[in-house]
Amino acid sequence: MSEPPVPATSVLITGASSGIGREMAVALSGAYSLILNGRDEERLEQTRLACQAPERHLCWARDLADATTLATALPAFLRQHDARVVGFVHCAALLKVLPLRSVTLAQAQDVMNTNVLAALEITRLLLRKDVNSKMLRSVVFVSSIASQFGARGFATYCASKAALDGLMKALAVELAPEVRVNSVLPGGVRTPMTEAMFDDPATAERLMRDYPLGAGLPSDIANAVAFLMSDQARWITGHQMVVDGGRSANISA
Amino acid sequence: MTTFNPLRLDGRHILVTGASSGIGRRTAVMLHALGARLSVVDRDEAGLVSLGAELSAGEAVAQHVADLSDIAGIEALVGRCVDAGGRLHGVVHCAGIQAIVPVRTLQIDGWRRIFAVNTEAALMLGKCLSSRKVYAGQHGAIVFISSVMGTVGSVGAVAYSMSKAALDGMARSLSLELASRGIRVNCIAPGFVRTPLFEQTERLWDEETKRAVEDLHPLGFGEAEDVAHAVAFLVADTGRWITGSTLVVDGGYLAR
Repeated sequence: MSEPPVPATSVLITGASSGIGREMAVALSGAYSLILNGRDEERLEQTRLACQAPERHLCWARDLADATTLATALPAFLRQHDARVVGFVHCAALLKVLPLRSVTLAQAQDVMNTNVLAALEITRLLLRKDVNSKMLRSVVFVSSIASQFGARGFATYCASKAALDGLMKALAVELAPEVRVNSVLPGGVRTPMTEAMFDDPATAERLMRDYPLGAGLPSDIANAVAFLMSDQARWITGHQMVVDGGRSANISA
Repeated sequence: MTTFNPLRLDGRHILVTGASSGIGRRTAVMLHALGARLSVVDRDEAGLVSLGAELSAGEAVAQHVADLSDIAGIEALVGRCVDAGGRLHGVVHCAGIQAIVPVRTLQIDGWRRIFAVNTEAALMLGKCLSSRKVYAGQHGAIVFISSVMGTVGSVGAVAYSMSKAALDGMARSLSLELASRGIRVNCIAPGFVRTPLFEQTERLWDEETKRAVEDLHPLGFGEAEDVAHAVAFLVADTGRWITGSTLVVDGGYLAR
């Protein structure tokens, strides 16, 4: 009698359709089977095709701002593909630079849903035995140095990233030693989300002055996430890993 | 989970202090395995000789016996490293004194010696690397082994905490000064790692104390190897955009 087939183990990456998330997917695609999440089905498929061994990876198109539907959608997706998640990387994030007077509660709730509550809900679901067979080992949240410092127009973004880091520390303590939980805090990396800031020459010049090592690349963040996911970081949990070209050391600039 | 391979260090000359034992030794072994050319420094000559035997295959390893509390002698020491192995790409300062002394019995000479080896030697090594005669001109990386005690306090750790918090602060300012030369400066803050240094301290504890301290680490006590992996990540090009930061490798100690 043959053994029952072993379910495929995967790493789930949210926000994989562009920017840091896409680079992360490509960087991790050699070592892991991936479940790629993003809003845009077509761009998600482009990410999959840019990965090593595209046939090994799955696309899961879904808007995380609708966090309440994840409790049915994620288990159904994993069941459908007989997949188990060993690693979870939360890259999805909304950033709308708005002065406080223009912020609406509805928009703030979208930001908190995508940036924080989706991370909480997905981690919660991946810990359920009936959903993921206790397979989860490592979680990395892509936070931001905006969790540590203020900036004009960043009220909802700073609040969401500080909340994400708080969630990360609490989960690191609660889920040890089975699951490690860390966050990576990038500074200004050139991605579609931040391109608008780099387009303005005055802002671009200020950014270059503030960053001792210049602007970062998505691969710089992907390297840090890949390290935290791996066994080489087996004794690292609850850490906010700053990857920012020296920006936070240079905060007096 | 699969293993993540940091980029290789072939052709790079790296100075590792405190290399005879503990974190320094595991770091030397790991950087050597990644292809680096090493200069290793320690005051324990026998330890260096046994490290040399362990690293007999691969790139040459130059051994230098020195006591780093002699700050004034560090410039000449670095000069000897450059003479023997060429200009340097990186420095990893693992040498350190970890003494638990209540402030009541702490003596001036005692805290100055701790500060000299843990902190001032690090500054002098960073200063030396900033010289064109010493620095190879690219892929520059300095890593100071700090401690979680640089961030939080502990009874009896006054001098040690002070020396490690100073390292974190030094790395931030030094990183800004050396960024234009392509030298990155970072700290790693380990929690309690099983090393000979730690075992000295551990022997002073009863079972209950030992369990209580281990319980402060959600992942338990660490191994020197865990810290060495983090050093390799920061020294290699994987840490290309990381400077002025402290990487905490502590099994969750500071998250609680």
